[in-house]
Amino acid sequence: MSHRLGMFRMPSAQMRGQGLRNQRIHTHLMEMMLHLKQTIEKNLMHLTTRHLQQDLVLEEQRHSQAASEQEALLGHLMYQLVNLLQSGAMGGLGLQPSCPSLDVRRDVRGGQWAQSSRQPDWPVHQLSDPEATFVSQHLSSRGIDISALYHSSFQDYKIYQRDKYHEDKNTMGFINLGLSENKLCLDLMTERLSQSDMNYIEDALLQYPDWRGQPFLREEVARFLTYYCKVPDQLDPENVVVLNGCSSVFSTLAMVLCDPGEAFLIPAPFYGGFAFSACLYSKVELILVHLDSEVTDANPHPFQLTVDKLEQALLEARLTGKKVRGLILINPQNPLGDVYSRDSLQEYLEFAKRYHLHVIIDEIYMLSVFDEFITFHSVLSMESLPDPNRTHVIWGTSKDFGISGFRFGVLYTHNREVASAVSSFGYLHGISGIAQHKLCRLLQDREWIDKVYLPTYRSRLQIAHGYMTKKLEALGIPFLNRGSGLYIWMNLKMYLDPCTFEEELLLHRRFLDNKLILSRGRTYMCKEPGWFRITFADKPLLLKQAMHRFYQVLSERKQDLIMKQLENAQRE
Amino acid sequence: MFTLPQKESKAPTTCPGPASTQDLDSNHGDGLERECSRKPDWKLPEFCGGGDPTATASSDSSHLSSRGSIIKWFWDSAEEGYRTYHMDEYDEDKNPSGIINMGTSENKLCFDLLSRRLSQSDMLWVEPSLLQYPDWRGHLFLREEVARFLSFYCKSPAPLKPENVVVLNGCASLFSALATVLCEVGEAFLIPAPYYGAITQHVYLYGGVRLVCVYLDSEVTGLDTRPFQLTVEKLEMALQRANFEGVKVKGLILINPQNPLGDIYSPGELRDYLEFAKRHKLHVMVDEVYMLSVFEKSAGYHSVLSLEGLPDPQRTHVMWATSKDFGMSGLRFGTLYTENRDVATAVASLCRYHGLSGLVQYQMAQLLRDRDWINQVYLPENHARLKAAHTYVAGELRALGIPFLSSGAGFFIWVDLRKYLPEATFKEEMLLWRRFLDNKVLLSCGKAFQCKEPGWFRLVFSDKAHRLCLGMQRVRQVLEGKSQVPDDPASCQSQESGNQRR
Repeated sequence: MSHRLGMFRMPSAQMRGQGLRNQRIHTHLMEMMLHLKQTIEKNLMHLTTRHLQQDLVLEEQRHSQAASEQEALLGHLMYQLVNLLQSGAMGGLGLQPSCPSLDVRRDVRGGQWAQSSRQPDWPVHQLSDPEATFVSQHLSSRGIDISALYHSSFQDYKIYQRDKYHEDKNTMGFINLGLSENKLCLDLMTERLSQSDMNYIEDALLQYPDWRGQPFLREEVARFLTYYCKVPDQLDPENVVVLNGCSSVFSTLAMVLCDPGEAFLIPAPFYGGFAFSACLYSKVELILVHLDSEVTDANPHPFQLTVDKLEQALLEARLTGKKVRGLILINPQNPLGDVYSRDSLQEYLEFAKRYHLHVIIDEIYMLSVFDEFITFHSVLSMESLPDPNRTHVIWGTSKDFGISGFRFGVLYTHNREVASAVSSFGYLHGISGIAQHKLCRLLQDREWIDKVYLPTYRSRLQIAHGYMTKKLEALGIPFLNRGSGLYIWMNLKMYLDPCTFEEELLLHRRFLDNKLILSRGRTYMCKEPGWFRITFADKPLLLKQAMHRFYQVLSERKQDLIMKQLENAQRE
Repeated sequence: MFTLPQKESKAPTTCPGPASTQDLDSNHGDGLERECSRKPDWKLPEFCGGGDPTATASSDSSHLSSRGSIIKWFWDSAEEGYRTYHMDEYDEDKNPSGIINMGTSENKLCFDLLSRRLSQSDMLWVEPSLLQYPDWRGHLFLREEVARFLSFYCKSPAPLKPENVVVLNGCASLFSALATVLCEVGEAFLIPAPYYGAITQHVYLYGGVRLVCVYLDSEVTGLDTRPFQLTVEKLEMALQRANFEGVKVKGLILINPQNPLGDIYSPGELRDYLEFAKRHKLHVMVDEVYMLSVFEKSAGYHSVLSLEGLPDPQRTHVMWATSKDFGMSGLRFGTLYTENRDVATAVASLCRYHGLSGLVQYQMAQLLRDRDWINQVYLPENHARLKAAHTYVAGELRALGIPFLSSGAGFFIWVDLRKYLPEATFKEEMLLWRRFLDNKVLLSCGKAFQCKEPGWFRLVFSDKAHRLCLGMQRVRQVLEGKSQVPDDPASCQSQESGNQRR
């Protein structure tokens, strides 16, 4: 199979752009074939196990449920495959296959690639009315699309949910270091949230709220951000909008800042949730500003974002007639862990101002900087913003407080128009009054945050990070050491041969086979194959077990590579 | 009449109606329909494309996209009415001459019971899994509880399945998600009007889906047995007209018990509507958010989930929430029940944007599980209080000689004030609405519900007796042309005690 797929590759330098796209089709096909294979295998296994357990009625039910789920998945995959092939055929391979990538993590990638010559709104279905009925006669084509994205993206996560590692009960279960979730302080959070001040009910909390967020919470958020972002002047609660999560905030911003088909610039690699949000509801395109790992004169640090690169990407996009409305920055960056210096920030903002671009800046990891030599500068701390009316800040408690299940995201913007427009969505992204009260109490408790939570959190981050980096160093694996975030961006290129996204996917599968979930570079739109993100914000015992599995896979892989080299040498 | 964002003419607040966004939104819906009198089947695409709203709105802003300007306009018109009310909210002690809100459909009668229940120790449970990324369909323990709860209260012939349940932060989100996964941009749902107008915004904001009204009349004609009766014939006609105009209709929205009419559909009627939908391959979204707020036992409510053999189970999607039946509109908990796995999955994949806190999910599961409290404490008391409040307001209306509709369900009475309009126009309706507001009582006018006859108002009665009494006094003053007469709080106090006991 790999031979045939190999035919797609075009090494010619002039054709690089083309080659990249082909490679994507190639990778997509590969992903799907693998997935299909896996599903069919599972189906077969299920058939045999069912035979053995026929007497157990419950078991039977569970099996038939699993079978129907698998059938549905098969359907979706077949559909996507057909679609992909069709799009390839119709577009002469130059057409962008915007099928969702198969991602292990929940932050699904939309897979919209800016290089494409065409950017259909709901790309997967654009060409394929007949297929629509193949999957479901009940959904709209965008509904089918959404569903397919879900299926392909969440399948591995579903497997993880069913077979989670547990130190006593399920030592053979999956360990998930692919998800950026902070599990280091669940003890502290559980204790704090169990205190009696959290359980408070009053009429106003049960009634229709102010859809921008309850005033008491917006006031507290303004105070909180003023303090932790070191804002020169007090922030104004009227500029705060509170929604149920940062994805919701971004989704609404994309709706009110862009019309369908318009675009945002975003430096890649980047957190794939943006791609998902951009294509799911708002149908906004992302123009990637590709960053390189290689250090050159123009690129003094690996993956460094420079104004030149921004400018080039913007101008190229404009040449193709794209309307670019804004720039998305993540600071501290995900997955790189980069923390932008004050000067860099200023430059990026000046660049955006020059071109009348909105800047959406996601500071969701702002309190997760654990290296004391690194200072985080919130964009809100700047004495004067270059273009305050086009600068929109996102923050939430999911990462910094490790409560992703709380569903809380904040928008801070000086632009009242934008705040009002976003507030129209309050109905669709509202948070329970009861939860708003708890969040307010939490953010209010500065004493606990400063004296208990943050010191403990950061020292645990440091320890976990130290453990992980030591392991990586011992294995001789290059990685970025940036002192922030819950994850490490590492380079496993040396385990790929050849260095392609297919090989990256295969390596990823090997980790999966060994019950370890990581997230691979392609899901962050990284242009170089071989990069992986590994989360370290978990318990030491679990990390130890995970690194053991990690090591196993890599040493097996090393053996394979040596064998392969030997064979090649013999042949020559 | 409405209220497009026009620069020159400072458009009237319309019935900015109700103070709470809920009803305000209805007005927005209203706002979309500029020339409704000429063109009852208003078309959103027209409005978006050539109409002034877009043009006006987008030229207003250098920062928003054109759809962003339309979206913002929804908020602004809400704000307008909201401000009026919120700047001068009634408070027994602090602002006795403030505005009484009889416009927002909220149940304010049972906070005592609810806050007591929600403060019990079982509600204060925190565990790590509740703080982490959830199953986006809703935690399994909650979906199981919802399935059990609905099986019991909807009297489903067979137990409902947790796999068919999706939990989100309110029915508004559910309308939005369903519109998105069932329709393409510009396609439409049928909806009998008058209807809860906020749905217009819910299906439009993200989904770009419009509503095609099935207009109902107050006049009883033909085979009708009651005013504003929904019949299959009317559904057929509306669908035909939409088809004729090239509008692709993908579904039908039913609200049962109906808002604002308070109508309860009989099993026979329900089946007829469902058969109609099946014939035309339409999805049916049944919003049963008032299902436990039927306070008149004789009314005999039947959930669509109680029907033996749904005509088209794969296209029948049921919505329920705690906002109304448990008087917790601020809790943001809504749920979908559908046998269609594709639809459930598609909606669930949008739940990333419509999730609710794990801790709240836990509390909801505890609440729904507590059958003893619900059956023995909450429901009997809630129904008794609703009935008492209803009896009082209905009595007042009768004394004024005002015709009204009410079938013993919901929090509101649909009131016929046509005789108080000098001319049967929406302009006059709005003037009357404004006179109410000037006299410090907020109602929702029919226009906000897309009612085609001017002069109908929705009056919410699910509030404390003294507020109701004052509110009705102010309504009476306006209708009797004596708005200037000061309130007589004393009389309300005495009324209250009598009223409390029914």
